[in-house]
Amino acid sequence: MDYTNKQLQIIYGDATLGIDGEDFHYIFSYEKNGLESMKIKGKEWLYRVPMPTFWRATTDNDRGSGFNLKAVQWLGADMFNKCIDKHLKVDDHDFDQLPIAPINNKFSNHEYAKQVEITFTYETLTIPATKVKVIYNIDSTGQIKVTMHYYGKKGLPAIPVIGMRFIMPTAATSFDYTGLSGETYPDRMAGAEKGSFHVDGLPVTRYLVPQENGMHMQTEELTINRNTTPNNADHDQSEFSLNVKQADKPFNFSCLPYTAEELENATHIEELPLKRRTVLVIAGAVRGVGGIDSWGSDVEPAYHIDPEKDHEFSFILNQF
Amino acid sequence: MQANIKWLDDPETFRVNQLPAHSDHPFYRNYREWQEQRSSFKQSLNGTWQFKFSPNPQSRPKDFYQKDFDASSFGTIAVPSEIELSDFAQNQYINILAPWEGKIFRRPAYALNQNDKEEGSFSEGKDNTVGSYIKHFDVEPGLQQQHVHIVFEGVERAMFVWLNGHFVGYAEDSFTPSEFDLTPYLQEKDNVLAVEVFKQGTSSWLEDQDMFRFSGIFRSVELVGIPANHLTDMDLKPTVKDNYRDGVFNAKLHFTDQAAGSLHLVVKDETGQTLLEKREPLQKTVAITDQEFPDVHLWSNHDPYLYQLLIEIYDEQDNLVELVPYQFGFRRIEINKDKVVLLNGKRLIINGVNRHEWDAKRGRSVTIADMTSDIHTFKENNINAVRTCHYPNQIPWYYLCDQNGIYVMAENNLESHATWQKMGAIEPSYNVPGSVPQWKEVVVDRARSNYETFKNHTSILFWSLGNESYAGDNIIAMNKFYKSHDDSRLTHYEGVVHTPELKDKISDVESCMYLPPKQVEEYLQNNPAKPFMECEYMHDMGNSDGGMGSYIKLLDQYPQYFGGFIWDFIDQALLVHDPISGQDVLRYGGDFDDRHSDYEFSGDGLMFADRTPKPAMQEVRYYYGLHK
Repeated sequence: MDYTNKQLQIIYGDATLGIDGEDFHYIFSYEKNGLESMKIKGKEWLYRVPMPTFWRATTDNDRGSGFNLKAVQWLGADMFNKCIDKHLKVDDHDFDQLPIAPINNKFSNHEYAKQVEITFTYETLTIPATKVKVIYNIDSTGQIKVTMHYYGKKGLPAIPVIGMRFIMPTAATSFDYTGLSGETYPDRMAGAEKGSFHVDGLPVTRYLVPQENGMHMQTEELTINRNTTPNNADHDQSEFSLNVKQADKPFNFSCLPYTAEELENATHIEELPLKRRTVLVIAGAVRGVGGIDSWGSDVEPAYHIDPEKDHEFSFILNQF
Repeated sequence: MQANIKWLDDPETFRVNQLPAHSDHPFYRNYREWQEQRSSFKQSLNGTWQFKFSPNPQSRPKDFYQKDFDASSFGTIAVPSEIELSDFAQNQYINILAPWEGKIFRRPAYALNQNDKEEGSFSEGKDNTVGSYIKHFDVEPGLQQQHVHIVFEGVERAMFVWLNGHFVGYAEDSFTPSEFDLTPYLQEKDNVLAVEVFKQGTSSWLEDQDMFRFSGIFRSVELVGIPANHLTDMDLKPTVKDNYRDGVFNAKLHFTDQAAGSLHLVVKDETGQTLLEKREPLQKTVAITDQEFPDVHLWSNHDPYLYQLLIEIYDEQDNLVELVPYQFGFRRIEINKDKVVLLNGKRLIINGVNRHEWDAKRGRSVTIADMTSDIHTFKENNINAVRTCHYPNQIPWYYLCDQNGIYVMAENNLESHATWQKMGAIEPSYNVPGSVPQWKEVVVDRARSNYETFKNHTSILFWSLGNESYAGDNIIAMNKFYKSHDDSRLTHYEGVVHTPELKDKISDVESCMYLPPKQVEEYLQNNPAKPFMECEYMHDMGNSDGGMGSYIKLLDQYPQYFGGFIWDFIDQALLVHDPISGQDVLRYGGDFDDRHSDYEFSGDGLMFADRTPKPAMQEVRYYYGLHK
């Protein structure tokens, strides 16, 4: 068996599921509750396991309208994650239990499959709690389709953002995307032009008080470019890239050197940490920024994220 | 007359020996000077001045204006500049509350009690910092053998002036030119000019604008030679007939008392063709009446067409002694019977911004480069209008607006926000100017200065009575002033929303701030008494400007809605060196240990303080492009 038949090699580990292909190697961790490693052409793309994200750094308008006070539960839900279920399906075989020892003793170092689906279900640390399901579908070419499903629940406060947060080991040198020009939000994208754009560095919009910034709505494709890794044996300085493509619908993203919490904690731009990593948020639902005033008026209702409704979005990683 | 520091406490003393405000027309000796944009009648006093800072009036050098004063303890300061930005005094940003909140208890004189003069309130105020300025100068040849005035284009906040030991005058109103006659005390060489600038005075109540609180001589200072035959003031009235096609030109020209000789007046179009030519003997007042301009080329944002007026002034020997060039346009603003604002017969739509004068390094001491850069940004982003929030701007700004077709809402230097609003609630118990008689003349004078200085600017479509000062008899008096002097523009005042019973006496237009789109629509649906606008909307603090489309959409539905001014154009933040990061960084209120402060609330611009656009600008460009 070889890769020319586009088969995935599956490594049934004792705490992980390894998936190997011609130019990639993925590891899902049962301990860390997600995708622990996404190695593409020899380069690692993940610093920590991607997790659902619900918080955006409070904007001046959010502060003025007290949205941060109403939504504060989502800050905790953003920082900490509780995984309540993991489920694996390889080709047509649905595992009713995770295949760790002794279940995996029956496997060998020559296990192949055409597709893998692994699902992590998280319970939000909110009152009431709700569930979020993250489904990774890996096909035989190695592309990963990520689907996040948020289950609406009555009684929850409006949500700042619903997305997946990927933290990459080093800061990107640039990114390219096809979508809308500039920084856009659902209530501020009429003036944007459609096109393909190149963005050098990981610019943080220099609002006086660091806050939510850098969102790009309606994106069809995104390429993140890096040229360094923390791997001590990697002496290669040439640029390498990760590709994100839309699945059925365009996606929204921000690509910054900081998490929402890091932004939240700074009162000035120069207080932010050194740019060390890349924080990619792929967002399904984005709340508007508002603008009527900065001391009480809420974002217009059409641009709220309704916590009581289901929200689902998907995107594709590493598609060629 | 001697200077009296008690004037700082007295709202009825706001100008002493100050010359009347007049039109801002330039004047030259001849055509060559005009070409070179350098008038030999003028002598700039900008540059390095001797300077002493005092933390309060008690510790100031009281006799520093004496000719033999030993100024060896004085340092230096740049003129123009802000005293705070030269690090003599603490930077402070505060919005509504008075800058002394939590430090000094004050009430405006006479506001609570007609007998309470609040004596010593400012003249003994421990927060009242003082800048003592000395400038030595010789009079340049072009100014000799004639009257010489001095013009301070902007000084915050109360100023005493001496020349060679003699008291010259006193002025308030930080944002309009203050002009004095130096002639009686002037010598050719080694004059000693002394200027004492107080940060606080009764005018502090009237200048409680939402901004960094600075003091000092922050705009240019110049000497002006006044020739015997001099045009002191002109009042141009270019009007457009009811057919919106033909123009009529009127002008009233005022000359110095002793003027004798003749004038030659021409008006040319852009191609240089002479359309009007007049020769008149010089008199104290010369009127040019009802001159017809058929098929006039109208002025507007898209086509800011200006006619060139030239007034040549000749002495009795027929020598050209003064040349006044001025550009003006024909345009007509009015409200029709359906309460729609029309410009040149067509509906006017304001795609505006509020603009504070701001430079991240120089504060409100902005430069011509700042102004031309802002005009460029306006043009790039379909911004067609500016409200000079909340004070008259530097004179060149109005010329730039004329030339670039920017519609101006020319606002008076007035905001008394602290006297009527506390913690969001309306509490006008000690509001000034209100209806307090002793506060009437001072605000009418501000209206007069604004009007007289800028009356010839085609770009000004609205006179704004001020900002956030509540309303009473004294605001009514300001409105009356404009109505009795100018039938070619509209008046604007938002603060009357709090006193609706005064709406028929104040403001030609209904104006609100930050009224949400739904409520704007409610007003428009209910048979509006006046055209409606938002003098401030889309508060662009931080990551904002979302939902702008909800306002713009109303323009299509309601002709009585004529747009608004976004709050605001540029963040107010100061560029300072941060020793920890080693970078030059932008700082806001509270960053200088200044308390009480409103912190980042001054960062509401479409532009960052370093004049780079915020991401929201593309949205503004789009929406403002829809009704260009």
